[in-house]
Amino acid sequence: MAEGTTSALPVLLVIVPAAVACLIPILGRTWLWSREVLALIGAVGAFAFSVWAAGEVLGGAVLTAFGGQLYMDALSALLVVLVSLVGLLATIYSLRYMKHHAEGGETEAAATERRLSAYYGWLMLFIATMLWACVSNNIIMLYVAVEASTIASGLLVAHYWNRRALEAGYKYLMLLTVGITFSLFGCVLVYTSGANILGGGRGLLVSELRTIAGQFPTTTVALASAFLIVGFGTKAGIAPFHPWLPDAHAEAPTPVSALLSGVMLKVAIYALVRTVSIFYPEHASVATFALALGVFTLVLGDLMALAQDDVKRMLAYSSVSQMGYVLMGFGIGTQLGLYAGLFHLVNHALAKSLLFLAAGAVIYSTGVRSISQLGGLAKRMPVTSFCFFAGALSLAGVPPFNGFQSKLALLTAGALIGSWWAVVLALATSLITVLVLLRAAKSIFWGEASAQISEVREAPAGLCATMAVLAVLCLAIGVYPQGVYRPLKAATVALETVSAPRHQLADRLPSQAVPGGRQFAWKAGDKVCTNRLLHTR
Amino acid sequence: MPEISPKLIHTLSLMMIFTSFAAVEARNLRHATTAYLFQALLICGLLASYALQNPSLFYWAATALVTKAVLVPWFLWRATAGAEQETKPIIGFGVSAVLAIALLLVMYWFTHAHASLFINLKGPNVPLAETNLAVAFTVFALGLYGILTRRDAVKTVIGLCLLENGVHLSLVSLAPTIRETALAGIATEVVVTVYLLLYIIAGIREKHGTTDTFRLSELHW
Repeated sequence: MAEGTTSALPVLLVIVPAAVACLIPILGRTWLWSREVLALIGAVGAFAFSVWAAGEVLGGAVLTAFGGQLYMDALSALLVVLVSLVGLLATIYSLRYMKHHAEGGETEAAATERRLSAYYGWLMLFIATMLWACVSNNIIMLYVAVEASTIASGLLVAHYWNRRALEAGYKYLMLLTVGITFSLFGCVLVYTSGANILGGGRGLLVSELRTIAGQFPTTTVALASAFLIVGFGTKAGIAPFHPWLPDAHAEAPTPVSALLSGVMLKVAIYALVRTVSIFYPEHASVATFALALGVFTLVLGDLMALAQDDVKRMLAYSSVSQMGYVLMGFGIGTQLGLYAGLFHLVNHALAKSLLFLAAGAVIYSTGVRSISQLGGLAKRMPVTSFCFFAGALSLAGVPPFNGFQSKLALLTAGALIGSWWAVVLALATSLITVLVLLRAAKSIFWGEASAQISEVREAPAGLCATMAVLAVLCLAIGVYPQGVYRPLKAATVALETVSAPRHQLADRLPSQAVPGGRQFAWKAGDKVCTNRLLHTR
Repeated sequence: MPEISPKLIHTLSLMMIFTSFAAVEARNLRHATTAYLFQALLICGLLASYALQNPSLFYWAATALVTKAVLVPWFLWRATAGAEQETKPIIGFGVSAVLAIALLLVMYWFTHAHASLFINLKGPNVPLAETNLAVAFTVFALGLYGILTRRDAVKTVIGLCLLENGVHLSLVSLAPTIRETALAGIATEVVVTVYLLLYIIAGIREKHGTTDTFRLSELHW
């Protein structure tokens, strides 16, 4: 598994947006139009290479570059496609959205216009660093890439340069850097123990570390996983390390909020599960800890979301909660649990980006962010309201949307290992999610329109198109989950080779989704692996 | 292979802790920056001493010299122009000093006694590794203490630098065979983070008229 095909694709998909990021400040100064064109080229290029690489990986290849330093298996491929897809949509959305703020936004028009070059440059760098983190196999460079994505997004969060944005930017950079330094300690501890066993530089590669993690001393495992969970968990918005998240998500320009919530949190949780899950087979308590933390996060996030009036802050706290669901899946640790965690990760990325973009469209058209001041927009903004409802229903776990499928898988996985307390709490929180999101949707789009927003028009086509793509994806995955079954299963197996002892790697998931059976077909497939888990525990 | 003098390492290590204490406790931001500069030079000295045994650390020492001893102090010096006095912290000077000393003693003693938690102790260099780890964790803890208890945004950045110094110092014993690219990445990121943070703090000073983090209170809940 560790040795793969050498390929230029993992390099290209990082280099293209990174190169564009360097070009934008240079060329954008002379030709103002070039920054948008270049950003589009960078985002499209990254997406094209990602899809190409993912196609090869789905065909059974494992792509590597620089002698295994970059490594792309099905799990990396899943994340890479997700990041570049949301990156592309956010870039397209920015083209119109950021112009608008330049015209009549919160700060001086001239200053904002100048900063647009910087905006697109950092945006491309942000996308490039997240892609880099997804394909990085060197455990220290994984830390470097994750921290680089923090740096690249710091000025994006503070982009509007007003009091609120600056405060959010300061908190964001400070808290994330401190948090991520803990994960460096964790990575270094893993590296040291690995180097003791493997010797030399080989101990740096995650794909090799996972084969020997069982030989680490227990105290090292405890310390390293604590450091890694605090470090990457801070960036993934896991409670109680989440306080930066609502500020940054709410104050950043909307396309950046969509990227932060939609994919940056996912990259962080990917780094978390990639590193921590190497301890699962021998140290089940690490998984249990992750499960407990996940459940705590999902409950707390939704309770906080309930108290919000600012639409973006509400969505931000809801992200905290949904990341709790993802972590819960990874904490369950069975094959179905990992599958459900990854499935929910994908669904949340699509649905939450959709919700942020829709909220952005509302702000674009009305200039109002407070839920209580909005109302009656459904008639005037039909596309936006449809998209917002699609995202809200998806996250609330209402069929036929995708969120229903992943939450069902998650709860089934929890029930199968007998963690009823987690299932009950997750189910109860799901009801709060319905309440939070549908109450907000109802208040924004139904009811009486207040006088100040009576002259509202639908958001421009560029904004609507990006939202429509995400809404259609949410619905399509919900109606036809078999479509994403293969890549998700491949990613689960890639992750699970970490968490299951080698001789138990046989395909336990049904090799094809049962048409019509959907998630329910899982129960039979997972029984075996649950029994195995109960025995090994 | 040349021998490393344990006396030299111990002296430099003790001074590391002393400069951390000074950087956290000094109320004048420029004095704190100076203390940080001394610490950066000490790190370079320590790295160079360890490099007698492990020559690849010379590269690390050179990187540290450029990033920690030149760039970061320069940024801090610029950021403190005209605003040298720190916003009064939550804890008064006397109490804070006592707390910091208690913290550093406990941290040093604990890590020194339990270095085997972190590394597989064997070979002739065990005492050196123990000292190195104990100092690294103490500097880390003092940095964290600074970030948590200081109100001044610039001071929290100095705390962050100490935190990073602690981690980087620990790499000497924990990851001696680490690649140069990884080291360069780690060192560069600290500088860029500090630069961006100070850039944003300059914006905060302009818009809020203060660098007191307690008065950054527009975002609650």
